[in-house]
Amino acid sequence: MIAYETQLKIQALLDDELSPSDARRLAETLAQDPEARALLAELKGTKAALKSFEEPFTLPETREFFWSKIERSIQAQPERVVAGAPLWVAWRRFLVPVSSLAALVLLALLTLLGPGGKGPEFEAALSDPGAFTYRDYSTGATLVWLSYPAENEFAQEEPTDTIE
Amino acid sequence: MLGQWCVFGAAQKLKLEVQLVWATNDRESPEPSHKPVEPAVLKKLKDLPLKWTNYFEVNRHEFEVPASGVVNVPVSSKCSIEVKRLADTTMEVSFIGKGKPVEKRIMALPRGELLVYGGNAPNATAWLVVLKRLE
Amino acid sequence: MTENDHSSTDDQTLVRAAQKGDMAAFEELVARHRDKLYARAFSMMRNEEEAVDLSQEAWVKGWQRLGQFQGESSFGTWMTRIVINLCLDQLRRQKRQRTESFEAINEESGGVERQMPVVVPNPTAELERAELRQRIDQALNQLSHEHRTALVLHEFEEMEYKEIAKTMDCSIGTVMSRLFYARRKMAALLAGLKKEDLR
Repeated sequence: MIAYETQLKIQALLDDELSPSDARRLAETLAQDPEARALLAELKGTKAALKSFEEPFTLPETREFFWSKIERSIQAQPERVVAGAPLWVAWRRFLVPVSSLAALVLLALLTLLGPGGKGPEFEAALSDPGAFTYRDYSTGATLVWLSYPAENEFAQEEPTDTIE
Repeated sequence: MLGQWCVFGAAQKLKLEVQLVWATNDRESPEPSHKPVEPAVLKKLKDLPLKWTNYFEVNRHEFEVPASGVVNVPVSSKCSIEVKRLADTTMEVSFIGKGKPVEKRIMALPRGELLVYGGNAPNATAWLVVLKRLE
Repeated sequence: MTENDHSSTDDQTLVRAAQKGDMAAFEELVARHRDKLYARAFSMMRNEEEAVDLSQEAWVKGWQRLGQFQGESSFGTWMTRIVINLCLDQLRRQKRQRTESFEAINEESGGVERQMPVVVPNPTAELERAELRQRIDQALNQLSHEHRTALVLHEFEEMEYKEIAKTMDCSIGTVMSRLFYARRKMAALLAGLKKEDLR
């Protein structure tokens, strides 16, 4: 019975994931052990079967119907910022889409709410240049948005990247 | 006079609560420990110009700041809120990210109001740190 | 660009147009790559409805993130990665809700594949290619999500162990174990096939 570690190495050899030195040692094992050779042949056979038969699945919806659903979902999303847009547009990414006039009004309010503006309800002792403040007087909520690239605030260790 | 001050100081408790919140358009959080934020906070967050539809509470901490005291509350491994009590219930609130002060403001936070810090999180979501006064 | 023009336009040009907001260009990209994306989603989820929903979600995400696509891979590969991540997220959510069967737990913890006798294909069996494909489908259905995902990512997406480990958020050793188990189980389920069919 081949040791499990050796079985995995045989697989790694097949997948070209073995270091040259490990591959040389394993070649000696394969030369002497018929069971090891048989396992390698089996793994090769399975690999070949899968390679030949990649699923030819067709999406079971017509082009028009599938696209109509995607289009509706895209249109329901907040607008995407186009690369190269002016800086003042960039912070809108976290906002609900508003009309241009409303956006300008909002921008004016933001300017007024900064240090030195009329009737500040806070005194900024330190302000990051990437921070934007929004104050909703009717509900009594102050939002300070820090516009840094996304990082995972919830991870206790370095996050694992997902492929994108 | 000192006695009066002591009584006044003791009566003016500054009890605060800070929550770490995840903002997303997903209907559910993949983390079982996350729960939807309480309705009162949710209503205020929805009134802010934020694009997300759902908000999940990741953690919450209650703390009290003694007169002339400073309390630092870690909210996550990457950020903390520091509250320094000034006169009465006026306080200096510092948002500290990765050990460095990022934003500091001197303010009073009346009961019922929120101070919300926010930033981008992966997959077009956001993190929010919500500070409110309990007493 | 009219819709008729798009059919003969290369992906790169369509992507550039879509990045500037051209929905018709993006629609052509969807039409070209939708089957491949769906096939990947189906191979992981083994459920038609879920695969359609996740494919749709992937396309919407693709539109949102198009600005991030720099051409470091083909557009099809980039979109496939998005749908793979969505499928993995869904599988993780389902795993939390699913009651594990004893067999599934045993499969995950490993062990049986180390002692299975080697399977030798029967050279005399006569099988139609359609039946062979059906057998492979059935065999894939019988794997757990973790084992099937490792197999799909390695055999169909041609990812290396390291890349699969990163995608599945596990160690390389776990990837190797899962792949090994999946292959040995597949071999057992496909036993009795013509030798020529496996080349």
